[in-house]
Parts: sequence; C-alpha cells; structure tokens
Amino acid sequence: MQLGAQAIPVATESNAVPRGRSYGEARLVQPMVMVRAATGGERLVLQATGDFEGLTIKNGELTPGAWGEGFADRRHPHTYLHEFMLLAPDLLRDLPAPAHLSLGVGKGFVPFGTDDPMSRPTERFPVNHHLSQILERAMAMAGVTVGPARLEGALFNGDEPQHPDQWPNLSRFGDSWSLRLTVEPVTGLEWEGSRALVRSPETRDAGGLDATKWSTALRWDRPLLGRPVYALLEWARTREGGALTLATVLFETQVTAGRHHPYFRFERTDRPEDERTLDPYRDVRPIIENSVLGVTRWTIGTLGYAVDAGRTWRVSWKPFVEGSLIGIQSVGSGLFNPAVFYGTDRHWSVTTGIRLSWGMEDHRMGRYGRSEMTMPMDHQ
Amino acid sequence: MIRRLAPAALLFGLACHTADRIGPPAVGGSVTLAATVPITPNYGVHDTFIRNGIAIVCVWNSGVLIYDVGNGMKGGSPTNPVLVGSVVPSEDSVSAGPEIHNAWWFWNPTNGQTKYLFLGQEGPGKIGSSSSGDIHVIDVSDLTHPTEVGSFHLPGAGTHNFWMDEAHQVLYAAYYNGGAVSIHVSGTLIGDTLADRLISQVVPDTTGTYTWGVQLYNASLYAIDMLTGLWQLSADSAGHLAVVAGGHNVPTRYSSDFSVDTTAGYIYSGTWDHLQRTGLSGSVVYVWQLNGSGAPSKVDSILAPAVGAVSDVKVSPDGKLLMFSTETGTGSGFYFYSLANPASPTFLEYYQTGKEGIHTCKWATINGRLYAFGAKNPSNPELMILDVTALDH
Repeated sequence: MQLGAQAIPVATESNAVPRGRSYGEARLVQPMVMVRAATGGERLVLQATGDFEGLTIKNGELTPGAWGEGFADRRHPHTYLHEFMLLAPDLLRDLPAPAHLSLGVGKGFVPFGTDDPMSRPTERFPVNHHLSQILERAMAMAGVTVGPARLEGALFNGDEPQHPDQWPNLSRFGDSWSLRLTVEPVTGLEWEGSRALVRSPETRDAGGLDATKWSTALRWDRPLLGRPVYALLEWARTREGGALTLATVLFETQVTAGRHHPYFRFERTDRPEDERTLDPYRDVRPIIENSVLGVTRWTIGTLGYAVDAGRTWRVSWKPFVEGSLIGIQSVGSGLFNPAVFYGTDRHWSVTTGIRLSWGMEDHRMGRYGRSEMTMPMDHQ
Repeated sequence: MIRRLAPAALLFGLACHTADRIGPPAVGGSVTLAATVPITPNYGVHDTFIRNGIAIVCVWNSGVLIYDVGNGMKGGSPTNPVLVGSVVPSEDSVSAGPEIHNAWWFWNPTNGQTKYLFLGQEGPGKIGSSSSGDIHVIDVSDLTHPTEVGSFHLPGAGTHNFWMDEAHQVLYAAYYNGGAVSIHVSGTLIGDTLADRLISQVVPDTTGTYTWGVQLYNASLYAIDMLTGLWQLSADSAGHLAVVAGGHNVPTRYSSDFSVDTTAGYIYSGTWDHLQRTGLSGSVVYVWQLNGSGAPSKVDSILAPAVGAVSDVKVSPDGKLLMFSTETGTGSGFYFYSLANPASPTFLEYYQTGKEGIHTCKWATINGRLYAFGAKNPSNPELMILDVTALDH
C-alpha cells in the first residue's frame, strides 16, 4: 500500500473579478490524501483520492476565468471522494498475447482529454478544465494497449457534481461515453485524440443540453539538451446541444534545472456565461432554461517559477510564484459585456504559495493505463 | 449631540434613498396554500394556463400535464388536482428536447370549438440576441388523449409568451429576437401548415430586440422587450402589426414580463436582473399609465430586493389585485398588491417559497374563489396553488 498527501497554501490577488476592483485572498487548496493498494503481482489495484476542498474552499478558489459546477470566476471545490477506482491493469499478463487489456470500475477520471490540472506545473487551473477533462463520474472503463498505441473507452453518468458531498447520479450511469486513443512512439512523447458524448452535464436529472466533445494533444516529457522538459499542446472543442460551440487552445511547458522549475502557460479558451445568482461568483443551479448570456474568450499568459526547498519529515516544500496577464473578449452576440461586468479591459493575477507534498508519487491524474499506474506525479 | 448627528443622519438617508418604493418583505396571513403538485425534475415546470377548471401545466421535456382543478370531469379541485391527460410534443429539430415553456388553450367563439392548444417551445439561445423553438399545435378534443397535430417554425427565432384575439382567431406570439408575430389560426390546423399563416412580424428596434411577451388591449398590442422596454403596436382585427409608440423607456434594467389592467388602463412590467444591466440590485415592477391614444408613460415603480428577476406579472381578472413572482434570491416568491389606486399599488402580502423562487404565476377563478398558480423552480420543482380569495375581498 502507498499513501500520499498534498496541500497548497496560496495567496492570490487579481482584478479579473466582478465589478471592477482588485481582490485578494489566502486559501488552502488541493488538500488531498491518496491511497494506492494492490494485490500481489498487481493483478488488482485500488486507486483512491480524498479531496477536502469542500472544507477549505467551500466557496471556491479565486481563479480568473474559472467556471463550472455552479461557480464563475472561482474554481469549484472537488468532491470529497475525488477518485475511487478498482482496476485490473493487465488482464492478459499470463497469456502470450501482444496486447494488454485493462479494466476499471468506480468513480474517477473519464478517459478523455489531457491530464488533470492538479498534476501539472501551474497551480491555477486553466479556464479549459471543463472542456479538456471529464472527472468525478461513476464509470466502467476498458483499455487495450498494442505496441505504442492505447485505446480506452468508458461508459459513465453525464451529470457533474453540484456539491462536494454529492454522489454521481447512478440512475444515469451509462448515458454518456468516451473514447481516447493514445500513441507513444517513444518514451515521453505522446499524442492523444479523444471523443465524448456527455448527456446533460449541468442538469443532474437530465433535460439539459448534451455536450459533444473533442480533444487532441501532444505531450512531451523527456530530456531536451540534457534537462528534463515537459510540454503540452492541446486543442479541445465542446458543442452544447447544437447551439453553442466552445473551443480552447493551450500550450504549457516547464524546464527543470536542478532545484529550479520555471514554467509558462498560454491559453485561449471560450467560456459560456450563465445567469448568476445574487452572489456574482455563482451561477443559477439547477439551471432553469437552456439559454446563455453570451460567450467570452479568455486569453491568458502565465509565467511561473517554483523551487525545491527541501524536505522536512518526508514532506517536500516547493514555494512558487506565478503571474498572469489576462484578456477577456465577447465572442459573437449576447447580453454579457465583459468590459461592463469586470469594469476594465486589462486584467492581471498573481499567485504565490507552497506546494507541500508527502509520498505523492502516484499515477498521472486522469489516466489508468498499465504504465501510468506507476508513473510519478513529477510536474508539480 | 443631536446637531452633530443630524448631518450624518441626513447623508445616511440620502445614501439609502431610491426612486423605487421598496416592497416590504413581510408575510401576512390572507394567503393559504391550497395544494402543491410535485413535478418530475426534467427539469421542471415553466408555466401554467388555467381555463374552465382545467390547468395546463408546461413541464419542459415532460411536455404538458393536464389537470382537473375544479372542472369536474375527473373530480379534481384546487386542493386536489387530478391528472387528466398528458402529451410530450416532438423536439421539432430543436436541440435538448421539447422544452415546453407556455400554453394557450384556444376557445374559438366563432364555432364553439375548444380543440386546439398552442404550446411554446423555449429552445437554447443567447439571451438578448438569438433564440430557438417552435409553436406546437395540440388537438385537445379529448383532454385525456391530447395529440400533436402541427407546428409553426419561424426561421432565426424562437417563441416565448402568447396572447390571443380569439374573436378574430389571431394568435400573437413574442418571438425574442424575432420581435412580435401574428398568426391566423382559423379552420383546421394540421401539419406544419401554420407556416403559411403568418400575418405580420414586427421587430420593434432592428438594432436590438428580444421580445418577452405581448398582450392585446384596445386595438393595441403591447409588447415588452428585454432590451428596449415597453412598446405600443397597432393591431387591427386582421392581426396586422405596426409600431406606434413606446420603446427605449427602461434603460437601466432588462425588462421581463408585463400585464395590462384592462379595467383602469394601466400596465405593470417587471425587470430581469440575472445580469445587472447598470449595476442596480434587486428587481423592479414599473407602473405605466396609458394616455388617450394608448401610449405608455411610467408613473411609479416598486423595488423587489434580494431577487434575480421579477419573473412574471399578472393583474387579477377583476382588476383589483396585482401579483408578481420573483426568483433566484432570498426575496423570492409571490407578491400581492392592491390596485385600489392603480397608479400606486399598495402592498398586501408576500408568500415566500424558497430562494429558487417562482418562474411564472397565473390567476384563476374557480367555483367562486380566486387562486394563484405558480411554477416553482427546481430543485424540487412543483406546481403551487394558493387560495388568495381573502385578498380579493
């Protein structure tokens, strides 16, 4: 059995908040405990993650452009039982077959899109989280690996959680599906292409707009000129009910030079603007109709630096600072005018904090393949 | 001491001053709950049309539920609604399902027919600029087995609230970015032949229109537009429409529903503030007086604090009461005002329903008593029926 834990105390200041002012706050984000248990020979693996953001950021984390699960301009807390997957990583291991077959069932990351932002260099989540990942669903999945190619498929429930303590709507299990093809011609160079149909993600009891999703990405994770380099280039698109198209392009990279980890992220992502409650950071949920107020396009460049500051009692310390320049534009028509809502057209954000982690050398968050099950989370 | 505090008190008073009268969030005791009917959250109930003791409940992707609430055909009453029939109309190539928002049961006085029910489909759109959804025609000759027989599609726009000139067999429909539309609905309605029945379409302001509702009064069709406010259109007996007066008269907020007091010649209109147009909080009901030619002018306003919208506004059949519903906020629910002075309504009672609120509200007189029907938003959507007879006395 392996155990791990993580927490990140952060302080963020930004003027990309409603009503044209600067706002700052300090929070404890991404407090997690991970458990990985396996039978002898790893024929069966249990991968579980507890996430306590429902306690530490009940009202979300200040994150420019964030949206989803009833939040806007603040990242929503994840559910307490973030992940609980029972996996058979390689059912064909005893056969002389040239293929590997894995099966999994439980609650976790749907095989679609790119790795979860929690396991990537930048602390602040990208705007495209709900375009590029599908998570916290009850699902059954299968994966076949032949040579450098891996094909995964899953059936799951379309509804996304609305509260940290909410379970997937099991009556909707199987109403949504995804496929992901990954090709890794050489170790550390990977291409993925994904497709998913998610039924009524924003309306728990169905009846809302369905999301048709595409994603493709190139991922580099190997040395370059003698230094470890990570890079990701992704494109994703979600079409909601034939009425709304949201697209994203994101590039991020990190270079490791000894203890030093400079990193950079650029993204341009479309965001739907929903009706908000009296709290300007919350959208009306459950939704009461299928219309939106408009679409905004968020263009964000983020430059960051993290340093390995050592370990205390097996807890590693990694202070970081990251700053962003942010542009917000209307896409097409609609009532929502970002210049009026945010009070200015020049935005910025600064975040500093310390990644505290203990034994977090587990799988890449968002993948349950034969090899990823043992791959370290080495990009934080 | 008093002299020192006086300027501060004056400043505080000025800071708190608002041009809108604030509706008191007090709760009286004249309104009683007659019944609630739970609605399957698919994903809820949007509107109700009540006629002759029959309540036609528009339940989005579950279509339409028809209840006996006092008609007698199934022994129902306002305190014991009994389901008579239901129908789920076609999606009609509009994404996300039938999305039934509103209804009008057409009683044709020229031949006595009560055969057709018109349903509004509120499809996806971008509020303020685009919309989708058709008018569906349901044959309700047999209320226990309603059947879809036709539909009307207007390219580039989706329908919202209706009004009818039944004597002249003209259906008026708000069509959001398509403005206001009139449709001739005489004779037999089968298939999509309604496409040939368009009489007139008026877009009040071609630079931006999003028409929420319409109502006919004194040969004028009044139209409330989210972007440009209250308009007066001429409407002859054949249904031809033209802009006469009004417009650009609610610049600080987006408008929502409205209702005409046909006994006194006043109009009451609400505002939709899920996105604050100019940063003003709460929502408002504006009071409009109609002059000799029917042109509206604003004479008063009532502020409903702590809500996201005045979602519906209705004057009672006898013109004595004003009811409006509010949603999304701690001040959500039903509000009742006396129209003893129609230029300045006086508060009677507030009926709280939870912060999700009431999406639409309707009056109904059933067996001599006055009721308010409300479509409660999810979560836990339900049809609410209030006995408000005591207010009317």
